[in-house]
Amino acid sequence: MTQQLSAKPFYEEKIQGTTVPLPLVRDCYAVFACRHKFCREVCPVYQEDRNESHTSYGFHAALLAISQGMGELGEMKETFTNCLECGACEIRCPNTLFAGDFYGTSTTTVDLVRKVRRDLVASGMPFEKYEEVKALVDKYLGYYYGPVEDLTKWAEGLDLKFGGETILFVDYFDAFETTDVPRNAAKVMKAAGIDFGILERPGATLGELLDVSLETFVEMGAHNVKSLTDAGAKKVVIINPHDYTYFTRDYTQYLGELPFEVVFFTDFLYDLLKEGRLQLTSEATRAVVSYHDPCTLNKICGISESPRELIRALPGVQFIDVNPVDQWSYCCGKGNASFKVLHPDVSYKIGAKRLQAAADLGAQQLILACPHCKDQLTDVGARAGLPIESVHILTLVAQAMGLD
Amino acid sequence: MIDETVYTLAPAIAELEAALGKEHVLTDYHQRAIRTTNTSPMGLHLWKDHMPDLVVMPGSTADVVAVVKVANKYRIPITPRAAGAGLADGAMPLKRGIVVDIKRMCDIFEIDDEDMTVTVGPGINMQKLNETLRPLGVWMPDDPASYPVNTIGGRIGAGGWSLLGTGYGHTPDLVCSMEVVTPTGEVIRVGAGGGRKIRKSSVGYRLKDLFIGHQGTLGITTEVTLDLAPRPEAQMPVFFATRSFHDSHRIALGLNKSGIKCLSGVVIFDEQKVEFLRRDDEAWIPLPEWVKSAVCLIMYGTTPEVEAAKARVFEIGESGGGVYMGTEISEGDWASRHDRYHLAYHGRANGKIRLMSWSCEDAAITWSQLPEVRRKWYKVAEELVKKHPEHFDIWGMFMYTGNPFRPWGDYLTEIDIGVNELEMTPEIWADWIEAKKQIARISVEHGGSVSAAHGGQREGEVEISVFEELKEGQYELMKQIKRMLDPNNIMNPNKYLLDSAYADEEARA
Repeated sequence: MTQQLSAKPFYEEKIQGTTVPLPLVRDCYAVFACRHKFCREVCPVYQEDRNESHTSYGFHAALLAISQGMGELGEMKETFTNCLECGACEIRCPNTLFAGDFYGTSTTTVDLVRKVRRDLVASGMPFEKYEEVKALVDKYLGYYYGPVEDLTKWAEGLDLKFGGETILFVDYFDAFETTDVPRNAAKVMKAAGIDFGILERPGATLGELLDVSLETFVEMGAHNVKSLTDAGAKKVVIINPHDYTYFTRDYTQYLGELPFEVVFFTDFLYDLLKEGRLQLTSEATRAVVSYHDPCTLNKICGISESPRELIRALPGVQFIDVNPVDQWSYCCGKGNASFKVLHPDVSYKIGAKRLQAAADLGAQQLILACPHCKDQLTDVGARAGLPIESVHILTLVAQAMGLD
Repeated sequence: MIDETVYTLAPAIAELEAALGKEHVLTDYHQRAIRTTNTSPMGLHLWKDHMPDLVVMPGSTADVVAVVKVANKYRIPITPRAAGAGLADGAMPLKRGIVVDIKRMCDIFEIDDEDMTVTVGPGINMQKLNETLRPLGVWMPDDPASYPVNTIGGRIGAGGWSLLGTGYGHTPDLVCSMEVVTPTGEVIRVGAGGGRKIRKSSVGYRLKDLFIGHQGTLGITTEVTLDLAPRPEAQMPVFFATRSFHDSHRIALGLNKSGIKCLSGVVIFDEQKVEFLRRDDEAWIPLPEWVKSAVCLIMYGTTPEVEAAKARVFEIGESGGGVYMGTEISEGDWASRHDRYHLAYHGRANGKIRLMSWSCEDAAITWSQLPEVRRKWYKVAEELVKKHPEHFDIWGMFMYTGNPFRPWGDYLTEIDIGVNELEMTPEIWADWIEAKKQIARISVEHGGSVSAAHGGQREGEVEISVFEELKEGQYELMKQIKRMLDPNNIMNPNKYLLDSAYADEEARA
């Protein structure tokens, strides 16, 4: 379970014109004055565009400059779109690594970027492609307000119940775009003898809400927490790592302590494996594989061991690992919200670089634990013509259990 | 968006956009503001004074040539900028103009692991370069504190100093040859003679050195061929705790003269530094109160070399009163050498949290002069802190061996002072500048150099550098060279007070 070292209440105060709230000035100064700039080479965006304006140092220093009478927020609306919200700069920041514990002031660039984007939208100065992002948000909210049966269509034929002490939480991206992921999750859990249910009407969990409307994000979060509580949940299994960050970091920040346990599916399955309840006996793959750490899971939540343990347990697999710290500088390129929509070229380059790095190791398959990574790297691999396949870990786990 | 200036920008911007692409010519306020500063304190009240008018991000030698030609045509100053991790304001514009941010030029053109060179663009980061080189069993051993962010171009422009320079040479020693765009836009190649991968030649003048450490006043490096080294099979850091700076100083001399070839660096932590770490360092591992100072050394080499040297090193350390601090501290501290050389948060021990930036004076001082220089420096620093206790804090001294390839003689001597930038005033800044001047003067009076690593050109020290340290003809020659290579005074004007080169000419006319 992750913990947020420093949720910053002063982020809630808006930057207006050239006025930056004083606590935010000091916070920005702490990054500016560090000036190690370790946030730079670790940033997947910076590695492509080499523009230091698009780094944690750049964002914080630019806001500090406003406070010193240089510039105003509206001018920065495009600059602040150049962030994947992957969290690499936060954990690489010496303020987080060394001072965070003592001073309670770790660097929270992802939250800052979201805050500034929201301030810009609220001030009537949205970024250029705001309408495209808004359309995506409207599409997902449309699911929420649409026919309830559509939300669980992905589960057709699986004979799943609604509610229960253990709930498999399925987000809209999984439910509508990558249905094999929740279907495999459900099959694996059933085969392992888990008594679980799903929600009839989960709320929207997309990251774009944090960029444009905190109010709606929190409203959806409250709906999710209430629905899960009403459904009797004691344990909620999450299959989208983006959701895992919302539940463990954002919902707790805005809604208080959750009345149920939240667990990511790789941790959940690894526990089953250790208990001997997950029988991985069939050959899942003969390929040489590597594993890609989803940014949200590795950099924001610090979960990196359980996916690796599951891969090691797959019969027939040849696993070439790249350690999770080295993967701080990797990303699939899709981002935590709409980066791919906003910057398709940079997004593609980041994804292609990630796949190439795996191919250079001799891997034939890159194993993923995130539906967004799967979606993005499948696209990128096809476009780049790289001889490496992107495979979701649940596909292999299901195969190893002899499931269709 | 653009400031009123003495030169005309609009046609220059149009020409730059045509040459580089609009997306690589940045005029927004914040794009310029964040490229004004570097890693040394400046006092936020001075930020505005240094704002460039625009930033360009060239992607090739041809782009750099185009920028330099436009700058000459419209007489707009240029300040080259790499990582901006310098500690001597090298990348801080003094006359606004165009900041040339070279970080897009980060290609690796060739790796030659037989003749042991790598050819790269100036914008590549050293850590990233070494990640690529690692599987080949070689590395580029330039190792500054800013290793994870620094770029080769900045290292060359600043004449960088490496933590491992005593074993492997510093940045200037690792450049075989390079392509440089001169201040008038010509592309030249300088090296040891003409061979790109040759380290030692007797042909011609030693011109390569002229284009290293010039702080962006003589050109922009656009491609460089660097020396590689085999990755060391074994490394061993050893930290000895001592009861006094005096003991550490004596042990360091023993190590300097030990004749151990795999010794790649010796560092002295003085009493004030240990006291500072004890009260302020987040990663401090508690040590007994008797520990007042420390001396550390690093050995890199083959396993038999390091193993054999180990016994001799312990003999020298322990006979001088040093107590080995163990592998956890030795290896941990050495491994984190790039990670925590400065954080903004201070005051952990006394609960009074202060945000301070880090100033690091970095004189080159010979071993024999260290005690006296140290005594005098502290006198200056203590007077400053006494006068402005809320604005400055003494963070102690480090002394690192600085002689390239040889662990004896001169030391990079550093006094670290915390500076409260957020609450700086012009009056307090003036006292700070005066203190810096006194510190620089003491270095020169003791036969040292104002700067071993950063450049000695910040306000407060630059007058001592050029008028006292370089007074025996060197500064006059620098002015002539500057005027010859940069007739329009385009490149980083007035760094090292070099506007005076043109003032002399005007006076003569």
